[in-house]
Amino acid sequence: MKNASREPVLLEHVRVVRVGHGANCSSIGSVVDTLFVGALVGSALFAAIAAALASEPVKIAGAEREADKGDRATREAGEP
Amino acid sequence: MILRYEEWGAWVKLETIPGVVAIDREGVAALGLDGGERWDTPQPPSAPLEVHLAVTSRCAAGCEGCYLDARPDGYEPPLADLVRSLDAMKDAGVFTVAFGGGEPTTREDLAELTTEARRRGLTPVLTTSGLGLSEEKIERLRGFAQVNVSYDGEGADYERVRGFDGARPAEAAIALLARAGIPVGVNVVLTRDTFDRVAGTLARARSLGAREAQLLRYKPAGRAATLDYLARRLSPEQAASLGPTLRELSRVHAAQAGEFHIRIDCALVPFLSADAELAADAAKLARLGVFGCEAGGALAAVKADGTVAPCSFATSTALRGRDLAEGHAADPELTRWRSYVAAPAEPCASCSLRPVCKGGCKVVSGFVLGLHGPDPECPRVRAHAAAQKQAAS
Repeated sequence: MKNASREPVLLEHVRVVRVGHGANCSSIGSVVDTLFVGALVGSALFAAIAAALASEPVKIAGAEREADKGDRATREAGEP
Repeated sequence: MILRYEEWGAWVKLETIPGVVAIDREGVAALGLDGGERWDTPQPPSAPLEVHLAVTSRCAAGCEGCYLDARPDGYEPPLADLVRSLDAMKDAGVFTVAFGGGEPTTREDLAELTTEARRRGLTPVLTTSGLGLSEEKIERLRGFAQVNVSYDGEGADYERVRGFDGARPAEAAIALLARAGIPVGVNVVLTRDTFDRVAGTLARARSLGAREAQLLRYKPAGRAATLDYLARRLSPEQAASLGPTLRELSRVHAAQAGEFHIRIDCALVPFLSADAELAADAAKLARLGVFGCEAGGALAAVKADGTVAPCSFATSTALRGRDLAEGHAADPELTRWRSYVAAPAEPCASCSLRPVCKGGCKVVSGFVLGLHGPDPECPRVRAHAAAQKQAAS
């Protein structure tokens, strides 16, 4: 599932931004003060997101499970 | 960052900025990645992004409206069972696990559980009443990305919601956590008696060191599933005023130095339909990640007995937490909860907020109407019902 190179993720390709972790254990929460901030603050937030996307190392969720499944299939097929 | 492929691109959990973003396929490709078969073949419904894990049903607080009906002699599942659920969350690609209960800080092995969650790439967060939280106990909470303290108001307001005066211990816990450098927020349940003083509640919480307030709708589950619910829920006028209230709270807090975020829970989203500006721009709500009812979708709950429910307030399904990764997409009850939004009744069907709100709180509609229907406390649903009644007469 990997290609070779990494380029900046343009903001037009960021569909949703959910800020913060929240810590409520009963219902899912969403930050709403960002709905009312000025365009400048909103742009700064999206720019910070783009910078994080450009710099953070990437792990793929479920990759180990997929690998385990692959190993299992190989074993079941009798391949080394 | 941890990236989870979806049919339309990927969800990404960031590490340097607390939060989750969705990027489309072109955005994923820019990272040098390709969804492969996840993009090339039809996929089952997505796994949850967030799971609420009840690590105990034991709690001595005795809150009148406890949604879990937690008790001092409640059940505390073995660590191994909880770890199996964490394994399943990792396999499913879940990002956040919110530990709750019961009172989760009664567990002696809470720090170990946090470590196990982190080891699996999950972001652990916690809700506590704050009762009995000493400096020593707080040291066990350092692994959490955020800890929220239940805090429904100062003094009498707290007691009005919970039935006992627990405001001071909660305030002490907020201050202790903040001093310890642990990100702390508050969960504020909104009731008819306390809604009008929510600004003071948030100001007090912030003065104690809270960085965030999550406003919660009072829900008819557990000990709150009684006729008393009808007297405690927000009045129609209060529900309709949520949008302007949030606007004013946001203005006040943005004007102060330092960070302080305001959150609403999924069940409050339908009340935004009364706010013309917000209702007219559902795309903005969606882009800023506002989630309505995600029960059975982006949200799941694992109860203390190990069963999975669409959300913490809903009745358990037959699915076990340890089978979450394999069973979430096909479970018939979870499917029923997810499917309502695809073809809802009016006035949800024609509502601009529907893609975000998803029909409102099904726990409320289930209690009040006995079925998954339009949220009967939504201002738009109320107006629709009133118009129908008038037309009929």
